[in-house]
Amino acid sequence: MRLIYRIVVRLGIALFVIMSLWATMFYFAMVDEIRDETDDSLEDYSSLIITRVLAGRELPQVGDGSNNSFTLTPIDAAYAAARPHLKYEDHNFYIAEKQETEPARVLTTIFHDEQGRYYELQVATPTFEKDDLFHALLSWIVLLYLVLLLITLGVTTLIFYGNMRPLYAMLQWLDKYKPGVKPSPVPVDTQVKEFDRLGRALQGAVDRSEELVERQSQFIGNASHELQTPLAIIGNRVEWLLDEGNLTEEQAAELFKIQSTLGRAVRLNKTLLLLTKIENGKFPESTMVDVAALVEEAVEMYNEIYSSRQMQVKVDVGEGLKVEMNESLATTMVSNLIKNMYVHSAEGSSGSVRISSGRLIVENDGEQVLDGERIFDRFYQGPKSKGSMGLGLPLVAAVCRTYSLGISYQFRQGRHCFMVDFS
Amino acid sequence: MKILIVEDDASLREIIHRALAAEGYVVETASTFFEADSKLAGYSYDCILLDVMLPDGSGLDLLEHLRALGKRENVIIISARDSVEDKVTGLEFGADDYLPKPFHTAELLARVKSVLRRGRTAGELSINLGNVSLKPENRVVSISGKELPLLKKEYDILFYFMQRPSHVIDKAVLAEAVWGDYADDADNFQFVYAQIKNLRRKLVDAAATIEIVSVYGFGYKLVVKE
Repeated sequence: MRLIYRIVVRLGIALFVIMSLWATMFYFAMVDEIRDETDDSLEDYSSLIITRVLAGRELPQVGDGSNNSFTLTPIDAAYAAARPHLKYEDHNFYIAEKQETEPARVLTTIFHDEQGRYYELQVATPTFEKDDLFHALLSWIVLLYLVLLLITLGVTTLIFYGNMRPLYAMLQWLDKYKPGVKPSPVPVDTQVKEFDRLGRALQGAVDRSEELVERQSQFIGNASHELQTPLAIIGNRVEWLLDEGNLTEEQAAELFKIQSTLGRAVRLNKTLLLLTKIENGKFPESTMVDVAALVEEAVEMYNEIYSSRQMQVKVDVGEGLKVEMNESLATTMVSNLIKNMYVHSAEGSSGSVRISSGRLIVENDGEQVLDGERIFDRFYQGPKSKGSMGLGLPLVAAVCRTYSLGISYQFRQGRHCFMVDFS
Repeated sequence: MKILIVEDDASLREIIHRALAAEGYVVETASTFFEADSKLAGYSYDCILLDVMLPDGSGLDLLEHLRALGKRENVIIISARDSVEDKVTGLEFGADDYLPKPFHTAELLARVKSVLRRGRTAGELSINLGNVSLKPENRVVSISGKELPLLKKEYDILFYFMQRPSHVIDKAVLAEAVWGDYADDADNFQFVYAQIKNLRRKLVDAAATIEIVSVYGFGYKLVVKE
């Protein structure tokens, strides 16, 4: 969820709660105030009538335009004793003048004259309809809420984006950042302390990480130097002995075996370095690579190199496949995937390499299912196979990780199936 | 032909020295940046083998220094770091070739020869051995002046041998040189043998005075017939 949406939603909810509370309180305060006023006027009216009754003067006419009405009923003492002498009530009241029943405020007063005769006086005045008031208030509150909300959110959004610009600049910068590629400095063009600190912290973290990458690559360089020179020395000394010529057949055979073993050590070292370099993103350049051409070349090469295995390999590149990636990494991936098929196939078995709908699929006959979880781990050896270092598939996986390509292994109908998804 | 080896490892320095001396070159060595720098100030060489990582400085700095002095020596960079950056920087600074460690002696000798040949005879780049002549720039092989048609792999193999006459070449090393990384981990070298067989037959049919002989059953050697 984007920050601005979250702020908008929360502001909306907070405003809603506040406005609802305020509307409720406003409603009750209003009702109260109106009732107070009505009661005051009823009281005045009531005392006017009582005064006139007691003075024996003429009572006011109903229908003088004031909407007030009254009833005066003589009552006995017992009734008077059982009732409160002053009572306010809300109920529907028949207003003779209008000839209809309306909600009204009614004041019932019980009083007696000098002769001790009790009267009950009911004065009434039509009041507002609460439902009407409630609806009116509600619609005005809703309108106010919406207008307030729009204004608040508009202003908030403007202020938000105005003030958060440094944050978005940093985020944009982070999106572009790739470990191992020298980054431009973090944009911290701001007077705001928090953003300034954030920018500095980011710069610090990136600098440290860049330094680690740099140190790691230096370490790899040094380690490689330390190992390559002794390897070169051994190899060259063996070659010297072979070149000298005066060796027995057995001695020469031993030397060739040493050379072959040394060759493996050299390749192992090279492959490990390559793997580490791929994982450190040391192959940033990319071009349009024709995967179909790489497949065809690799199959041709391996058909020749592994010709003694007499394998039947079908190639179907379909409509071809071109992807944007580093050429040498693409070659590494394709050739290792295909080589894996040749190395782990029995004599006379069959295999196939297909390209279809953006996927490269390499299949070969197999006897048992492999551990799909560990097959891409370094030095994992399934059923032991001659001429395998256990680094081919890890190389393929490392390239796939670099470009976020999906790679999967399946065993179906007696065939190993490796699939790289380029889409 | 005078060659200077700049390499800090004594053992490697000794082997390169021995191999180059056996080819008839006059060889001098330097083990540090300082030593190399003072030798270069006083003498001139036909070819310099330059290690990138020296205890007291970078071989690339030495190369830059050399070019700044206006010296045009042939330089082959020897680096343990098989990295693109080193290669690019080296070649930008005017190195003539780049050889990653670990290398085969035969490969080193071939590179030295190639660099010296380029430096000496502008344009005339063919390699001649017996009655066979090979022109790398247009991949043409001719025997006694008559062109010999070869397939791609056969040509690559012959080219490799002609750069290293009289040296024992391991089948595995040859496979790596011609088939590249594809031949890594190959457990059977019949495919090399098949190509050699065809090449041999073509050479015999064309009455070439060179031949590829098997050595110890594991390798080959290109020799000029007596």
